[in-house]
Amino acid sequence: MADPIQPLESSAASEPKAEVPEEVLVRRSRRGDLTAYDSLVKRYQERIYATIYHMTSNHEDANDLAQESFIKAFQVIESFKGGSSFYTWLYRIAVNKTINFLKQRKNRMHMSLNDLDFNAEHDPDLMALISHKTPRRDAGLTELQEKLNAALMKLSEPHRMVVVLHDVQGQSHDEIAKVMDCNIGTVRSRLFYARQQLQSELADYLK
Amino acid sequence: MDPLLKLLTLKRHEVPPPGYFNNFSSQVVTRIRLGDSANSEGVLGTMFVEAPGLLRFIQMFTARPAVAGVFASVLFLLLVVGIVYSDYSTPTNPENFMQSQAEQISPISTVASVTPGFLDQSVPAPSGLVSSTNPVFSFEPVDSQSGGQNSLLQPVGYTH
Repeated sequence: MADPIQPLESSAASEPKAEVPEEVLVRRSRRGDLTAYDSLVKRYQERIYATIYHMTSNHEDANDLAQESFIKAFQVIESFKGGSSFYTWLYRIAVNKTINFLKQRKNRMHMSLNDLDFNAEHDPDLMALISHKTPRRDAGLTELQEKLNAALMKLSEPHRMVVVLHDVQGQSHDEIAKVMDCNIGTVRSRLFYARQQLQSELADYLK
Repeated sequence: MDPLLKLLTLKRHEVPPPGYFNNFSSQVVTRIRLGDSANSEGVLGTMFVEAPGLLRFIQMFTARPAVAGVFASVLFLLLVVGIVYSDYSTPTNPENFMQSQAEQISPISTVASVTPGFLDQSVPAPSGLVSSTNPVFSFEPVDSQSGGQNSLLQPVGYTH
């Protein structure tokens, strides 16, 4: 029998937030508790969305794929055996869904980029790239953003995924290997090759 | 720090529209409640995934209504032409009808042409419709035992 529904994260506003363990939320979700699953979605929505967005360079596609990934995860949550963390398992669903989507729509690449946040203009590393010392000093952040996304889209899906997960999202080689269901050596070699490709594509902006 | 890695930090500053995540989880839960996975798993979703060209075709209509109008006009014209053509192509000439029937029984004449010794050599080669050589349409018994003339191979007069 299902546990009595306990208030989850959102109800603990007046007291120090005691985060419900992931295992508990997963167990309740397996019983069909959508309140618990709502908490899981809230916990991972930004990371899942960001990964898909960086892979597709399209906000609308990322929105659809992120929602569908969470829906798919709920539909097959019975198959989650707990061998890995729920986050890794969920990530795997999202990654597979995204790669399949991109393979099937290879000829219909359309970028719909999100805006840059306020902090981008104050990032010293980024400012250095568009400073007067660079040969492309006329390039603004928006142009850099477009060039970067275009260069990323030229990579194959597995190579792009490795760059996104490692260099953008900061995941470890080991985590990436689990998510992409390959060994660490493959992750490293893909990362090396993808960076080389990006270097050559963006050479004008990296001098 | 590697300039490429510096440039890649730009991706971290790309953010969805303000408030985007406020309703995200509720939308997911609502879709789960409604059993709404049709966007990706349903017949239409599958069809679009299997045939992305079809999706592009439909999207072209939504993006350019003029194209949709032209396409509809072409379809209408084709329909009209089809109707008009079907009126004129009705077989009313009996000779045409007979000719089409002759073409249907052509296998027999083909057999006859490849086995000339099978037929009586005195019989002139058929130059027109030879319906009487078709054993399917003949109910006369074959008189091969008595050495009589095979009714299936009787000469036929060709008069028009």
